[in-house]
Amino acid sequence: MPDSRHTVLWGLVVARAARHGRPASAGDVCEVAVTAARVNGGWVTVAGGPGPDFLMHVTDPVSEWLAEFQLTLGEGPCHDVQISEGLSLGSDLEDAPSGRRWPVFAPAAVQRGARAVFAFPLTIGSIRVGVMGLYRDSAGPLPPAQLRDCLLLADTATVLLIEAGSHGVEQAGDGNGAGLPGQPANLALHRVEIDQATGMLTVQLGVTAAEAFARLRAYAYSQDRRLADVARDIVTRRLRLQPDSSADGDH
Amino acid sequence: MMDADLLVATFVDLADTMVADFDVIDFLHMLTSRSVELLSVSAAGVVLADPRGALRVAAASSEAAGVVELFQIQNDQGPCLECFRTARPVAAADLNSPDQRWPRFAEAAARAGFRSVHALPMRLRHEVIGALNLFGSGAGPFGPEDLRVGQALADVATIGLLQERSVRRNETAAEQLQAALTSRVIIEQAKGKLAERLGIDMERAFGMLRDYARGSNQRLTDVARNFVDSATADFPPPR
Repeated sequence: MPDSRHTVLWGLVVARAARHGRPASAGDVCEVAVTAARVNGGWVTVAGGPGPDFLMHVTDPVSEWLAEFQLTLGEGPCHDVQISEGLSLGSDLEDAPSGRRWPVFAPAAVQRGARAVFAFPLTIGSIRVGVMGLYRDSAGPLPPAQLRDCLLLADTATVLLIEAGSHGVEQAGDGNGAGLPGQPANLALHRVEIDQATGMLTVQLGVTAAEAFARLRAYAYSQDRRLADVARDIVTRRLRLQPDSSADGDH
Repeated sequence: MMDADLLVATFVDLADTMVADFDVIDFLHMLTSRSVELLSVSAAGVVLADPRGALRVAAASSEAAGVVELFQIQNDQGPCLECFRTARPVAAADLNSPDQRWPRFAEAAARAGFRSVHALPMRLRHEVIGALNLFGSGAGPFGPEDLRVGQALADVATIGLLQERSVRRNETAAEQLQAALTSRVIIEQAKGKLAERLGIDMERAFGMLRDYARGSNQRLTDVARNFVDSATADFPPPR
């Protein structure tokens, strides 16, 4: 079941963060993904508003080079997921399709020791907070179980980054990164009402979709209710959130 | 006997839609509406197998809460889940009969006013990537002709989903599947924003987004993304 796997992976992320004495961050998620996917390294780039994305976390020098090169070049699997809706799986950078897709990036990456690069968008629909990249020194697709883990971890990193962002980057050092305590929502079991409620809250609260999602989750957390249940109340117009306080409604 | 003219018109329309750069969610939504007409069912939906291990609704002919819930509930039990497991069509011809294999699902279906359901697999080689779910208000199994047409619609849905790219590797299917699921989320967010802005329901909001996309020759997903990203709630969004 996706829910139990989601919980197992979250446990690994929290354990890693605890060893370093700080709240879980997208960097911890990336490190867990490298282990879970049995690859050599990984990185996380974060969308910095209107400016270019910046590198938030790398596991090793090859990853750093792969991330920076794609940001500079504007080509590669990570660049693809920035401009499309999906993920981008370059399982063999020496094959013909990869050569066509990434004529500059693919051979350069191979020369640096990366035969496969996998890019996961850190997104919830139109909310785009960054990209998680992974590389391996051998060719071959991610087996289904590893692909599943990477997608679940990408969701976790997304929620962590949204909540870190919604609390203000200037609060760094004040427990930023984790945002709310507890496990991020399992987006695999996402209900359409959550997306609809997010859209509705952008108007009710006059905020971005990322902020609206964070507020929705904060409200559910403060009321000790399931995210999907709160979302349904908003979609059926039994509940409205107010711009100032995160909690209000007709009852 | 099925209406032969309608059958031809449906497949011609579906083929026409699959031009370069078409919107897969728009396409799947059209396919569910046409399935309802052709097969005389009350509701239809395309459910996709998210590689995360969950079933996700990509498109539904109706926005009624009970209908959407029916597709979602099948993460736990129901003909759709069974269809994914077996890669074969699965039918529950009478959800009112006392011996139910899926009691929770049958109850939700009855609440939504349905008595029968068919799940037809969307197959890619040996893998099932999704299913076409058809709900009827009356009891009774499909005849062989309905089953054949239903399966053809499910196959067209598969082709549409995988779009113009030839699927050489399973990876590409995973990429397309994720893109479709993300598109769907973007469109739901846009529906919410528009529904709130204009005080209308989700069905109306979807219709407005789709009509504007068609009228302005843009992909539905692009219209939805621009609208959600826009700092104002004005519709149509600035391009």
